[in-house]
Amino acid sequence: MRVGLRLLELARERGARAIFVVGTGKNVGKTTALLAMYEAACNSGLRVGLASIGPKPRLRLHPNTIFVTARPLLPSSPSAEILKISELESSSGSLLYARTAYGGLYDLAGPSSASGLRVAVEEIAARSDIVLIDGAIDRLATLASANGAIVVSCGAAAAKTESEAVGDVATLTARLRVPAFDPLAGALELEGALTATMAADFIAAGEERQIVVGDSTQIVMNGRSLAEALARLRIRCRRTLDVIATTVCAVAPERSFDPGPFLAAVAGATKLPSFDVFAGREAA
Amino acid sequence: MKALDLLDAASAELLGFDWLVNAVAPISPYGTRLFSELVPFRPGNEAAAESRARAIAQIAEQLHPDRVSAARSLLEHLPDIAGVVAGVSMGAMLDDPGFFELRLFCETVERVDASLPASGFGQRVASEATQAVSAALAPGRNEAAGFYLSDAFDADLAAARAAYAQAQAEVDAARGREQERVARQLGREEVAGDEFIVMRSEVLGRLPAGVRVVREAVTYLLCALEYGESSRGALERREAAFGRMSALEERVRLQLSCVVREHAAGLGVAARAIGELDVSLAAVRFSQSHHCTAPAVIAEAALTFERARFLPLEAELRVAGRRYVPIDLDLRGAGVLTGPNMGGKSIALRTCGFLALCAAFGLPVPAAQARVGLFDQIAWLGTGLRERSGGLLSSFAREVTSLKEILTRFAPRLLILVDEFARTTTPHEGKALVVALTQRLRQRNACALIATHLQGVAAAAGVAHFAVRGLKAIGTPPAARDLKDALDALAASMDYTIAVVGGDDPPHADAIALAELLGLDPEFVKAAYRALSQ
Repeated sequence: MRVGLRLLELARERGARAIFVVGTGKNVGKTTALLAMYEAACNSGLRVGLASIGPKPRLRLHPNTIFVTARPLLPSSPSAEILKISELESSSGSLLYARTAYGGLYDLAGPSSASGLRVAVEEIAARSDIVLIDGAIDRLATLASANGAIVVSCGAAAAKTESEAVGDVATLTARLRVPAFDPLAGALELEGALTATMAADFIAAGEERQIVVGDSTQIVMNGRSLAEALARLRIRCRRTLDVIATTVCAVAPERSFDPGPFLAAVAGATKLPSFDVFAGREAA
Repeated sequence: MKALDLLDAASAELLGFDWLVNAVAPISPYGTRLFSELVPFRPGNEAAAESRARAIAQIAEQLHPDRVSAARSLLEHLPDIAGVVAGVSMGAMLDDPGFFELRLFCETVERVDASLPASGFGQRVASEATQAVSAALAPGRNEAAGFYLSDAFDADLAAARAAYAQAQAEVDAARGREQERVARQLGREEVAGDEFIVMRSEVLGRLPAGVRVVREAVTYLLCALEYGESSRGALERREAAFGRMSALEERVRLQLSCVVREHAAGLGVAARAIGELDVSLAAVRFSQSHHCTAPAVIAEAALTFERARFLPLEAELRVAGRRYVPIDLDLRGAGVLTGPNMGGKSIALRTCGFLALCAAFGLPVPAAQARVGLFDQIAWLGTGLRERSGGLLSSFAREVTSLKEILTRFAPRLLILVDEFARTTTPHEGKALVVALTQRLRQRNACALIATHLQGVAAAAGVAHFAVRGLKAIGTPPAARDLKDALDALAASMDYTIAVVGGDDPPHADAIALAELLGLDPEFVKAAYRALSQ
């Protein structure tokens, strides 16, 4: 199957104009998923914009792609159209927006702050049909809640065992998919983060009201504590996120999982459409 | 804008120096650089200070504020070409972002000029240099107002790029055929990426030709699709085309860099001119926003003004929905200022300092009319200085050490603003100290305003006595005892006018009436009046 196209369709069915690819760790196939969607979008004739939280390895871009990069990283050839030089800074230098005139190898870079990323994505979105963003979830939550879809990548590189990898992605997606709070029902609105200690206190006190945080990044828990808190408390968000799919990468230099069962386990644990971009498969 | 030794930090804080700096700060990197080097005019430079203030005030009068805002909004987005110009001057070849910035700079300079017709700013900023660079880079202006090293720069570029695009298309086609063949042989819709997984169950017999196994596992193979002969050939042709295109693009950059280098000095002049314009526009905006006038800057230790305002407080009051009452003063040499509590004595001192600061930087002043001297130093002594907790010195001892420091500084022309000096010691000795201080300042020909509640200082020191008129009538305390209401009632009752009075006129404190207005209970107030009459 054409995984990139399928992911793109899933996002566009929801009206998303931006797709954020986040991962459970490094080298879990985020860039592969992003590139699969990028190829599909270009083949569909869309004007594509690309952004990244941090520097990315060089990517071969097609003509007419809008991208954000650091000034020192812009290659001299093929010459790209400079659209705007931003006041935003990245770890590699000041950022600029450019459009490829011819295909070639380009670096992506992005601002390190959430507010900076918001500006960058808005700049790119104004000039393109769809924006693909490689990023970290803690910087994306407030941005993705507007009209963005999220794809969560997981893989063998970020966990010692298959069950740990499945548990990690299930936890992350559960956190990202915390439902919206009901304004008509009783609620305890938190100003800041919900920590494991606070959750334990709420459970001990038999708290039945909705416990409301701004967005899911403010739920600062993992693993068993998070699972327990989500099961026993009515945790809700003011701004919800739209997680549309997961992708898996079963191979890593240090270990690998059996791709078929791993994909099936991820799909079962997350209850989301799940894809193996490397194997060109969707979980049954 | 640097105060240098005109002001110490504590006086700067009390007199709103930072507020003034923010209010007249330019907006472009060029203006900001010049502004950071701006220093006060010193005694002897009265004509220059007055000339600058007059020029700014005149432009402020002639130029509509909307035009000032429009020009400033252009300046706000002006790129900083200093690095680019410096680099090219030293032989560097510019990159495309550098050309983008230069093009934007040259175009913006022309737009700024066009936005300020007959404004009195003198010469246009755009010059032969900016026009030449703008013309040289014009083919790179794209529809998005960015910059692109377009084919129009070099007759050979279009052909080289077309060849590169053709070669890239050949690579894509050859690679696509290989991927399609492998996908078909594996029974898949596509093979995406350079590495892919093949499940052993998918492989019927051997792997398709060109597929290399990277890693083997029990159930799957991690594979890579090798480049076939036609792909490799296409890749070689693409690399060759890329090399030709790249060389031509560099040739264009080199030619454009030479044009920029030729005009580097002129661009530097334009950059300085736009910086000066920016600094002036910021001062014009300040003058317009605060209805300032050009002062007569005089070679005397004197401050004379009508309807003057201390702008930081005026801004604060405006936010709070309160009215600011301007003041008049004619201070030549030293003078004593008395008046009730909350009658504006401290603000009168600050107004003096603020106007002196404006004049020192050649700015119009917030007054209907003013004659202001230039000073070597402006110093504040007394209340208002941020109290330091702890330490070995009492507040009185700290005042005395501050005074000693002020008196020993070299400042032939000194403006000193004294707010209730020696208020924390006995009234008897405190008065003696204030009289001695006033006499010393008079002997030094300092311009000094000494605010005090002590009686007879002006007469004893032989200087002018100014007094805030004070409460016109004792208002009825607000029933709700609300502080805001009390302040409203106070403001309505207070006459902030400063008048010259006889040297021995006793100062009015109106302290008990104020205490009542501010909500002290009636019994307490009655007791105070009884005590006063005994």
